[in-house]
Amino acid sequence: MAAYTLQINDKQYKIEADPKMPLLWAIRDLAGLTGTKYGCGIAQCGACTVHLNGTPVRSCSIPVSAAATQKITTIEGLSEDNSHPVQQAWIAEQVPQCGYCQSGQIMTATALLKKNPKPTDKDIDVAMQGNICRCGTYVRIRKAVHTAAEIMSKS
Amino acid sequence: MKTNINRRNFIKIGSAAGGGLMLAFLLPEAGCNSNSNSAAAAACDPLQPSAYLKIESTGDITICFARQEMGQGVNTSLPMIVAEELDADWNKVKTEIMSFDAKIERADKPAFGGYFTTGGSQSVITDWNEMRRVGAAAKAMLVKAAADKWKIPESQCSTANGAVTNKNNNASLSYGELVCDAIKLPVPKDVKLKDPKDFTLVGKALPKKNLKTILTGNAKYGIDVKVPGMVYAVVERCPVLGGRVKSVDDSACKQVNGFVKTIQFEGTSAPMNLHAGVAVIASNVWSAMKARNVLKVVWDEGNKNHESTDELFAKFESRSKQKPANEIYTKGDAAKANNPVGNMLESAYAAPFLAHGTMEPVNMVASVKKDSCEVWGGSQWPEFPVPEIAKELGIDAKNIKINLAYIGGGFGRRLFYDYILEAVKIAKQHEAPVKVIWDRVDDIRNDAYRPANYHRMKASWSNDGKMLTWQHHVLSTSVNVMLEGPETKNPAEILGGASSDFWYDVPNVHTAYSHVDFNLNRGWVRAVEICMNVFPIESFIDEVALKMKKDPLQFRLDLLSTMPKRTDQGLNQDPKRVAAVLELAAEKIGYSSPRQANHYIGLATHAFAFCPSYAAHAIEIEMVGPKKFRIIKVIAAVDCGIVVNPDGMKNQIEGGLAFALSQALKGEITVKNSRVEQDSFFNYNPLRFNEMPDIEVHYIQSNETPGGIGEVGLPTVAPALCNALAAAGSRPYRLPIKKDGFEWV
Repeated sequence: MAAYTLQINDKQYKIEADPKMPLLWAIRDLAGLTGTKYGCGIAQCGACTVHLNGTPVRSCSIPVSAAATQKITTIEGLSEDNSHPVQQAWIAEQVPQCGYCQSGQIMTATALLKKNPKPTDKDIDVAMQGNICRCGTYVRIRKAVHTAAEIMSKS
Repeated sequence: MKTNINRRNFIKIGSAAGGGLMLAFLLPEAGCNSNSNSAAAAACDPLQPSAYLKIESTGDITICFARQEMGQGVNTSLPMIVAEELDADWNKVKTEIMSFDAKIERADKPAFGGYFTTGGSQSVITDWNEMRRVGAAAKAMLVKAAADKWKIPESQCSTANGAVTNKNNNASLSYGELVCDAIKLPVPKDVKLKDPKDFTLVGKALPKKNLKTILTGNAKYGIDVKVPGMVYAVVERCPVLGGRVKSVDDSACKQVNGFVKTIQFEGTSAPMNLHAGVAVIASNVWSAMKARNVLKVVWDEGNKNHESTDELFAKFESRSKQKPANEIYTKGDAAKANNPVGNMLESAYAAPFLAHGTMEPVNMVASVKKDSCEVWGGSQWPEFPVPEIAKELGIDAKNIKINLAYIGGGFGRRLFYDYILEAVKIAKQHEAPVKVIWDRVDDIRNDAYRPANYHRMKASWSNDGKMLTWQHHVLSTSVNVMLEGPETKNPAEILGGASSDFWYDVPNVHTAYSHVDFNLNRGWVRAVEICMNVFPIESFIDEVALKMKKDPLQFRLDLLSTMPKRTDQGLNQDPKRVAAVLELAAEKIGYSSPRQANHYIGLATHAFAFCPSYAAHAIEIEMVGPKKFRIIKVIAAVDCGIVVNPDGMKNQIEGGLAFALSQALKGEITVKNSRVEQDSFFNYNPLRFNEMPDIEVHYIQSNETPGGIGEVGLPTVAPALCNALAAAGSRPYRLPIKKDGFEWV
């Protein structure tokens, strides 16, 4: 066990954890932020995607010790009032069904748009294929990523 | 201001039994009675003519629903129905799920399960009438209150946007302003419902009411439940159903920080299969997982530990040629059907076991005390486990409390309560509440799988091209045998399986079923046995058409045009609607227009028996190599009667395509030595983002009673795709098609 101070969404969380504990469980069970979801534990589904210094990572496959000194952003850090352009786009296209995978989808899409403000369909394919949605909202996610790009270009 | 706070908890009952209207009512302290923010500011008690509705004098309207939300949109569609008849201002309507301790009493009977049960695409169907009457009853009371105030007859009042207007002088009172008078009125015994042509909300694409909590990460699923003092458990389960624990060595677990103890429990069989297991309890889930890795368990696997799916399909094949065990449906001359004359075709189709693979692996929190039990998590059928929990714990069923959460994908998985019973069996042996987390491997290896299935199809026709006989022998590992035990009188799946899944006018039809035993837990997966049967039926009808050198579209339409409506076996199945969706799909994909080189179109249509809804798919593919194809376009055409929320409907059909394509292309659970071989998303890999084709959803404007929509978008996907491949020269006979070497790009 070791003590860490996690910087999540610009807040500090003092936790005690096994250094090998995946960041996912530290975020969910120790910091108490449950918007980040467990899906497979082996980086196959993308449900646990968060940003580490702005880069999307699968939090199920990163030990908490490796993330302790970095800036972590989770779905809760996007905006509390759905004002972030990606959340806005997700509302405009009415994307979610059950919603369970959507935190991961949104975090992946947000990182893509930061790097590539005008992604093509091909770019979106490459960025999003690691995120599974069993409800099958893919068609709407694609539209929403384009919509978010538009909103961002206007603001 | 408030006269009697207790009245809040006493909800009026419409009328006594024996005719007339009886609205759903609740026992006190239950259901749609959480205090709204403005309750304190209210001038009087709210108007609550039913369990499903509450109108405050402040104007706040809460519409409640009892069906579980798992992505199918009930939190929007069901309240829309109440709001429609109420003429409420939709923007001001709050929707809220009822807690399960709400004891709903209704005059009607649920289709299956209870009023909280969510499956079989039944939510809108079963709640349609009740929700309408609730809205209409409340509106009638508000109108009466306004009319009395204005001293005019009710006929001189109109309603819109949450207000009553005096037609004589355009004076207007909001519903909130009328509540204090309306609560003094009796709930009407009979109400007038709107003519569907006057609907203003139903039929409109409205945004989902629950999106905003999902998009901020604040929606609470079962996996997010926290109960004070709870510990975490992961479970090592016997890999073979029916096995037991022989010995446990947890000495290495004790070295793991946070480890608490191990708990053994036994498995169960009918009505619910549960694997025996050893739970590893720890203070956090990661410690539990780590300790499980060093846990040593020796199992007594029992004697059914050598079965394999390869053997099962070999058994299916040989059994399919013998006399079927159960007759399901016979029309015309069965003997003639069994010995067809003239031209004939015989084919066999097969599909594998399938896991639900919900994004949220199953989980449950349970707390067991001396005389009571409480559980927290998602369930599609919360009524179902109650008797068995009571029996397991030796407690009164009324001391069992089930707290429901959002479901991160249901698809039928959470109709089965193995995971609830398991959590209870573990919590029974621990003093604190226990949260049982299944990892992905547990989830895929211990599912309630769609039965593997096999179909022997035979058809014959006369020399002048008239269909004579149609025979369908369905073989599967029955869900009913699992639920009811081997002595069940009805081994075939719901509604007699293939008996209702046939809509073509053939004079001699014979459908039969044989169960083949297999030691694996089974269950219903989205679109259930209709998916199983429509694949062979819609493939084989196409195959017969091609063999007869007829156009598959016209061939189907001809056979549908003379088919009478089916009302046997409780069906309400209209071949004209089966034909109409097929024609719509064919038209929208440009079936009759010239096609590019190497492009092929496949069609399939069906009636989803117990909804009743209808859907057809048309799929255009481009062959880019021998057995290698690209999906160019998918058209879905749907007739589900009145569409409550067209955007929600489209969502379900789009999602249905993704689910069904996963199955058609690559989904497969295989078993060796009675163990499931797949264990994660890399070997049970659902459709990925880049594999999702474009889909257009079209629907038929209809005033028929609403049918279900959650499942009807699946069954015709695989046969439409296979029919396109057949048109290109090579027909797949088994799913997933990758087994026969088909590749897609």
